[in-house]
Amino acid sequence: MEEIKRKPGVCIPWEEKVKELPPLSGDPELVRRVWEEVDFLGYLFIWHCLVSF
Amino acid sequence: MSKSKEELYQERLKRYTKAMQNEKPDMIPLRPFVAEFTALYAGYTCQEVTHDYEKAFLAARRCAADFDWDAIVGNMVYVWTGLTQAINLTYYATPGIDIPPDVGFQYREPPEEKAFMKPEEYDDLIKDPTDYLFNIWLPRVSQDIVPPGEPVTFRHNLAFLKGGMAMIQYFDALGRQNQLLREETGTVSAISGILKAPLDILADKLRGYYGLARDLMERPDKVLAACEALMPHLFQVALSGADPEKNVPVAMWMHRTCVPFISPQHFQDIYWPTTKPILEELWNNGHQTLLYAEGNWDFHLSAFRELPAGSVIFHADRSNIFEAHRILGDRFCISGGIPNTLLSIGTPEEVRDYCKKVIDEVARDGGYIMDASAIIQNDARVENVKVLTDFTREYGQY
Repeated sequence: MEEIKRKPGVCIPWEEKVKELPPLSGDPELVRRVWEEVDFLGYLFIWHCLVSF
Repeated sequence: MSKSKEELYQERLKRYTKAMQNEKPDMIPLRPFVAEFTALYAGYTCQEVTHDYEKAFLAARRCAADFDWDAIVGNMVYVWTGLTQAINLTYYATPGIDIPPDVGFQYREPPEEKAFMKPEEYDDLIKDPTDYLFNIWLPRVSQDIVPPGEPVTFRHNLAFLKGGMAMIQYFDALGRQNQLLREETGTVSAISGILKAPLDILADKLRGYYGLARDLMERPDKVLAACEALMPHLFQVALSGADPEKNVPVAMWMHRTCVPFISPQHFQDIYWPTTKPILEELWNNGHQTLLYAEGNWDFHLSAFRELPAGSVIFHADRSNIFEAHRILGDRFCISGGIPNTLLSIGTPEEVRDYCKKVIDEVARDGGYIMDASAIIQNDARVENVKVLTDFTREYGQY
């Protein structure tokens, strides 16, 4: 298993993802926000499988 | 002039929320958790409302239109088996596929030796619950998803894709259903968001009840650590679905973690220290929680009293509702308490008499919501549900 301890709401942390990206020429906050919002959907998927379905 | 649906909605919302705040509204709110009863009433099979959620929604709206209820759940036949089939989950028996079409869906717990989580895996779960769920748990509960290291298959890819899309589709549709309830019948959507206690999750979906019971004796420290690891995630899931308007509560479905399923010591040392903080934190964020206490929680009523006044609504299933009111009534709203067996095999007179007894003894000062003890399924008689409704309206005026 990976060493990273994921926070609630997170599958792949932004800090991990941003290392894969080239230097950001545009607004980094926008990229971070959208990454985290969509990543949260993955988080909800697995946790709702456990809790709701 | 008759009220508009929006006026009716606002009136019902005020009635419902006031009762939940343990105050006295204009009359006792009705908030029956009608599940497969809606199918019975609308002329559908259990298969239809479980596998085709649009029919379930329609059936719920038919009931909302015909009964004078203040609030219902948009779809209390909550598990849409189209979604569970897309992921190919193994633990549901689906009406019309695994069981007869007129039987409500069933949860199938595996035998202890085939539990979805092995006893030696506690450290993996504790270290990173989300990782554990994706990489170990999901491949075990799905027949299509393969664990890391094995060749990816067409069905594996599709299970994630279809499962994710189906989940978004269903949750979006539930949101529209709540809006339709408001617009078409002026009915309030009774709950928003879901919570389960960490120990219940361990029993329900990970170790199974037998496995958990053994672990509580053999490795209680691991059980506690696992519950602590699950806490922030279960809080996060609950908060993400909570009502942004902060009107209706998060529902906590309470299963098998009360005495005698577990010991008083395990409740005190593990269940309560890992559940109470979640309830308190939801309250700190402005959200009430409906403690949907399935089974008999009499032994724990004094523990629930420790929660901030008004932070929860205690729903009595097999708990003694009169005792619940005596111990909790000055701090929390109480709901339920009308035995489902009475709705199923009782006479209308017996239903009326029991409703009167509950109203007389529990609802005198407000802070009570009329409902059956447990979710109302297709064994309930329509005329008995009608009596529960009409009598409460007639006798439940303040």
